[in-house]
Amino acid sequence: MDLGLQGKKAIIVGGARGIGFAVAEILAREGCDVALSARGEDSVKDAVAALSRYGTKVIGKAVNAKKPEDYKAWLAWAIEELDGVDVMIPLTSAGSGIGSEKYWYNAFETDVMGPVRAVEAVMPRMTEQKSGAIVLIATTSAMEAMGGPQAYNAMKASLITYGKQLALAHGKDGIRVNIVSPGPIEFEGGNWDMIKGTMEKFYTSQLRQQPSGRLGRPEEVAKAIVFLASEAASWCNGSHLVVDGGFTNRTHF
Amino acid sequence: MWDTARMDVKRVVDVIRVDPATCGNGTPAERAPDPDLGTALIPAERYYAPEFMKLEWERVWTKVWLLGGRSDDITAPGDYICTEIGKESVLIVRQHDGSVRCFPNVCLHRGNRLRPEGLGNAEQFRCMYHHWTYGLDGTLDRIPDLCTFAQGGPPKMALPSFPCTEWNGFVWYSLNPDVEPFDDYISPLKQHLEPYHPERMAWKRDVTVEWDCNWKASVDAFNESYHVQGIHPQLLWYLDDTNIQIDCYERHNRYLIPFASISPRVAMPSQIPPGIAEIMTHAGMDIADYEGRIGDIRRDVQVFKRQHGQAQGKDYSELNDDQLTDDYHYMIFPNVSLNMHADDIMMFRQRPHATDPNKMLYDVWVFELVPEGAEWPKRVRHQRFRHGDKSIGLVLDQDAYNLPTVQLGMRSDSFPGLWIGEQELRIRHFHKVLDDYINAPDASL
Repeated sequence: MDLGLQGKKAIIVGGARGIGFAVAEILAREGCDVALSARGEDSVKDAVAALSRYGTKVIGKAVNAKKPEDYKAWLAWAIEELDGVDVMIPLTSAGSGIGSEKYWYNAFETDVMGPVRAVEAVMPRMTEQKSGAIVLIATTSAMEAMGGPQAYNAMKASLITYGKQLALAHGKDGIRVNIVSPGPIEFEGGNWDMIKGTMEKFYTSQLRQQPSGRLGRPEEVAKAIVFLASEAASWCNGSHLVVDGGFTNRTHF
Repeated sequence: MWDTARMDVKRVVDVIRVDPATCGNGTPAERAPDPDLGTALIPAERYYAPEFMKLEWERVWTKVWLLGGRSDDITAPGDYICTEIGKESVLIVRQHDGSVRCFPNVCLHRGNRLRPEGLGNAEQFRCMYHHWTYGLDGTLDRIPDLCTFAQGGPPKMALPSFPCTEWNGFVWYSLNPDVEPFDDYISPLKQHLEPYHPERMAWKRDVTVEWDCNWKASVDAFNESYHVQGIHPQLLWYLDDTNIQIDCYERHNRYLIPFASISPRVAMPSQIPPGIAEIMTHAGMDIADYEGRIGDIRRDVQVFKRQHGQAQGKDYSELNDDQLTDDYHYMIFPNVSLNMHADDIMMFRQRPHATDPNKMLYDVWVFELVPEGAEWPKRVRHQRFRHGDKSIGLVLDQDAYNLPTVQLGMRSDSFPGLWIGEQELRIRHFHKVLDDYINAPDASL
């Protein structure tokens, strides 16, 4: 199946590690030019260096998505450097946290406004060219209990609604917007790697909830994201795809 | 010093350490030159042989200074600590003049113990058996029907006296009447440990567990950080177990472990690990507000505590920046391990069993800084139980879990002795000091 990604221009916000990096890597391998960001300069450098071997244009720059002006400038820079944008995948997240009110502001700025600003930055260009694919990343924690009531889960949930409404509003312009909700994903340096080390009991309890007895790998979610971002998913618009190896209990009718 | 880059690590980390030249009169931070202690096996026999246990009793336990307890447990005249070491039991008693004295806890009449182990207050020590009665200063004040003892009372009509002193909030005693001065014995640790001001800290935990291992197996367990990757996986997201500074002195030693750090053995996480979050919260930081990198937390906690300590009623003025986060881990020969932190001390007193080399008494003492102006908390109750009967916290449970099987394994004919690496230099040093006592030319038998 041809994904039709050859020669496309993709922006991955938060693409230096984990799912974001796996997405960037598949896109580069499929022939996309890629712009990626991370908070740390070193992480960006490492990621760009690692992806350069696929022979497409890969650029990166550090930015903190919580700083709106810097972030908007970064988005403008990425579009300009790539000379366009066909695919936008914002993965920024402040992560979990419970107790302080500040977690709500952090999650709002990073998990919600990160994607919102990314969408707004690419919309004019995509509307003009009458094509574009956006994939928002929510979480299974938006749908089922995880880690207690907290900003991360609730703010991520808003992306599912927002994504659907974007799809309805911009479908006429050839822009598709889809949402992917990953379950627990484990990779070196990721949260679940740390949870495995520091909260062994909790980790094992989550493993037991996975029908396959393991957590997911970044590339297993990345492939689903890339599919939705590709021409192969031309009839997917406003879909919400749960990619969790069967982790969640609910049935999606 | 080993090459951390060649260890089983995922990253190479340069730990920022305080400049020793800036430590002034505080705890020295200089790295002491490594003693050349060779690479020989440490014979396993010493962990289980009754003969070695006997030598230890004769040449170590009855010769050295021993930790008795806390000064603030005996503030009023007549307050006493009754504590045991091996087959002996002693009474450490606050005198009317404010000094402390130490006596054998035994009635000179028929040998009955005067008091059970623990804390108390007495106007006099009256034996339960025939009511021989001793004053706080050990004087035998009353022998009922003295006239029926043709030989009179025991010599000097008093309990023998053991050397006893107070230092840094603790009481020390020795079973050796000719023990060297305490200051010589503890050297050079006065300058090291006084800046922590243990007297500003209050009891948080007082537990004794009968462990199924030799006391040295426990001392060894706390004298190296090599076991963190083995039995404390969660601590790899809490401390740097590879960038350790080891310093061996004449008979005591220490290592300095960076806390609030991610071990180079694991990948740098993207979220603040729970243990480090606790350190930050305890310092008064709002982790939801933290914008820095995980790798900078240790330094940021130091800066924060330096800035806010005073307002929190915590005087860190005598401590260097590293001491505000790190574990300065000391071992006072022969049996005290101390995790020294700016806000607390977690220390272990490791005592030999009275008769069985395969058992020991493991005392966990935790003290927490009481901020200025805060109410001094009520003393916690002493608890005592058997190995594995009760949890003593995840980390210490992990430490305790292996020790019985270590003790069993060491008795195997196939195990000649301990195969010690450079990360375990303190173990080698401890056994060298022990050997020096065992083999001392003036050791009289």
